[in-house]
Amino acid sequence: MLARSAQGLYWMSRYLERAEHLSRLLWLQTETLVDRPLPEIHLGWRRIYDMIGRRPPSGELVAPDSDDYALADAYTLADDLTFERSNPSSVRSCFALGRENGRQMRQSISGEMWTSLNLSYLRLQQLEIQDVWGASPEGFFAETAAAVDRFRGVAAATMYRDGGRHFMQLGRHIERAQLLLGLLLSQLAADRSIEEASEEGWTSLLRLYHAFEAYTDRYSVEVEREQVMDILVTSPRLPHSLMRTLDQIVFELDAIGPGPDAQSSEEARGEGDGLSALLHETWPVRDDTEGLLRRLSERCRTLHDLVNSCYFEYPTAPALPR
Amino acid sequence: MDFDSYDLDPAIYDEMLLPDGTHRAHCAEIYETLRELSPEEIDLIQERVTRMFSTEGITFTVYGDDEADERIIPVDCVPRVVSRADWEHLERGLTQRLQAINLFLGDVYGQGRILEDGVIPVDVVRGCPQYRLEMRGVSPPSGTWVAVCGTDIVRTNDGFFVLEDNLRVPSGVSYMIANRKAVKESLRRLYRSSRVRGVEQYGSLLRATLQELAPEGCSDPAIALLTPGVYNSAFYEHMFLARELGADLVEGRDLVVDGGVVYARTTTGLRRIDVIYRRVDDDFLDPLVFRPDSLLGVPGLMEAYRLGNVTLANAPGTGVADDKSVYAYVPDMIRYYLAEEPVLHNVETYLCRRPEDLEYTLDNLDSLVVKRVGESGGYGMLVGPHATPEERNEYAKGVREDPAGFIAQPTLALSRSPCLVDGRLEPRHVDLRPFVLQGRETRIVPGAFCRVALRRGSLVVNSSQGGGGKDLWVLD
Repeated sequence: MLARSAQGLYWMSRYLERAEHLSRLLWLQTETLVDRPLPEIHLGWRRIYDMIGRRPPSGELVAPDSDDYALADAYTLADDLTFERSNPSSVRSCFALGRENGRQMRQSISGEMWTSLNLSYLRLQQLEIQDVWGASPEGFFAETAAAVDRFRGVAAATMYRDGGRHFMQLGRHIERAQLLLGLLLSQLAADRSIEEASEEGWTSLLRLYHAFEAYTDRYSVEVEREQVMDILVTSPRLPHSLMRTLDQIVFELDAIGPGPDAQSSEEARGEGDGLSALLHETWPVRDDTEGLLRRLSERCRTLHDLVNSCYFEYPTAPALPR
Repeated sequence: MDFDSYDLDPAIYDEMLLPDGTHRAHCAEIYETLRELSPEEIDLIQERVTRMFSTEGITFTVYGDDEADERIIPVDCVPRVVSRADWEHLERGLTQRLQAINLFLGDVYGQGRILEDGVIPVDVVRGCPQYRLEMRGVSPPSGTWVAVCGTDIVRTNDGFFVLEDNLRVPSGVSYMIANRKAVKESLRRLYRSSRVRGVEQYGSLLRATLQELAPEGCSDPAIALLTPGVYNSAFYEHMFLARELGADLVEGRDLVVDGGVVYARTTTGLRRIDVIYRRVDDDFLDPLVFRPDSLLGVPGLMEAYRLGNVTLANAPGTGVADDKSVYAYVPDMIRYYLAEEPVLHNVETYLCRRPEDLEYTLDNLDSLVVKRVGESGGYGMLVGPHATPEERNEYAKGVREDPAGFIAQPTLALSRSPCLVDGRLEPRHVDLRPFVLQGRETRIVPGAFCRVALRRGSLVVNSSQGGGGKDLWVLD
């Protein structure tokens, strides 16, 4: 398929994964506002901002000392993370960028996919924080995340299983791996900043990745950091687990096949295999978990660069037929 | 809905009603259906039609001072109906006109007989900014310079008139099909019983046309549609047509030329392209030949074209035939090349390059429509009867400074068609743009992009200036 089309589908998928992930995080975060202690609420915001690598509108996050302050702060922060157009990581921006990539590639996706994506985009365009905050912000974020799920369902039901589909899936899984790694690192950093590891923080990660029931089945109702990481990183049955995500990346690279240049194709494929092997061979590492997670995160970025130079923006001269 | 308050003006042709207020014979079904619908029902139909455009993201882009704005084209749910006899007349006229235009283009880039014989002044053609010296001596496949033509036609009490021929990158066909889809789904019973001729086959006809124009020896050509990109006002249409054609939608940066051959960049390497349906203006096609600052085109494309390794549809240089000054000579072209009388008439046109026409134009600015020859889309135009004395004086200065840059035409009483406005049926001025395809044979889908001047009394139908669209039904 056309290299630019593949690139557009890859990015569309990445942005939508990002939008869904942030929506789910905000859904959980707005739930904490109802009945959780102020320090936990504060750590929740910090984890989100750390994960997306952005500073809050006030410059620094200040721990609230009263409920009123915490709620006022939450309104501003949720607005920044959800609707702020100048924030490229906000839910609205991610949807807009995903939809813009989809718009440019409409001939490569099904009409049903476009309609689903466009309707979600239009809904977000018409809303502002005041429209959702007073009623049920949790419901709004749940619906926004579900919109991405629906889009994926429509894609699964209507899209040809061709190169475009595989590039979409590749983008989705590279993004997913990076987001999960970023969130695990943020949570570890949050743990370091307080005296005791926050059980609530790890519980929310289980809920975020639909893993709570699997966790209690496998372990107990007591939430332990190492065990949460084990299940989120290695569970073969958990759709969002890191190992499953990395294995999916290898699968998609296989399905896509080589690009125009044999050497860069080898490199991209090798990096995908290497990522998966590194995790399979080294987990669990209790003494330097953060170090491993960081290495994996960096290699995901490297893989992205290799995919880009192998399939999308390769030099023309070696690709000319001779 | 009733027509009791419908503002019927006998001086203006109404597409549905006769001057006495009764319906035209071919509009009986739609007239009766409209009368049976309650205001609430028709509002609902209009809402469904509008929602479909919004849901499907059928948009065009308008450029303001700050940024590009993606807008939904307003659509009126009441179709315009054209009788079979009228359509057959239009088809004959359009076929004849495009045949003559293609012969004219082959001639002016070849021997120039029509110029030697004095039928058209040499300076009108060679002085036209759209005349491309680079195309001298080029012979496109099947002698087809214009493969896709969108001709703007209006009707008055005196019949149909051609307003202009769009021969470069005519747009609007996707709206024709989208209007049909939306209105058909909303007026199902009426559509079925009216025996409306379909337009949905346009994509396959365009594909057949482009295949016929493939370079010699290429039996299964790879086709690409070249777009300026997502910020172009007609990007939706480019995407739509690429999908209909089963063609790659490419930008200039997706193509490379090597050894006089055009390739597209794919994820597995470079793939040869044989036919390009280009929706990029001549100026931007190839920076090595036309504008050197163009980022939209493909360096070396014209070399590949001249070598016959790729077909460009439409061919570069076709703009010389839709220049507003050359337009005035199309009836003469038809007589010259085909030895026939034109089936469709031109609007009487005053060429301000002629001293007597200039004088007439300046003396009658309050009753004329004056246009810049190099502009399109309703820009650079003065509608005399609607302009203030100050606006006319200001415009006259420009005409005096550059007479050859202007033409003038009488203000036509464009026909009107019932439209739903604020819950009532009101007449609005309309035109139509049918699309003619020319490969080895001529193909015309029985339909058109029908444009509506939605503002009361306005004659400007361009979507960039407050115009909208309407479905046009040709009856079987």
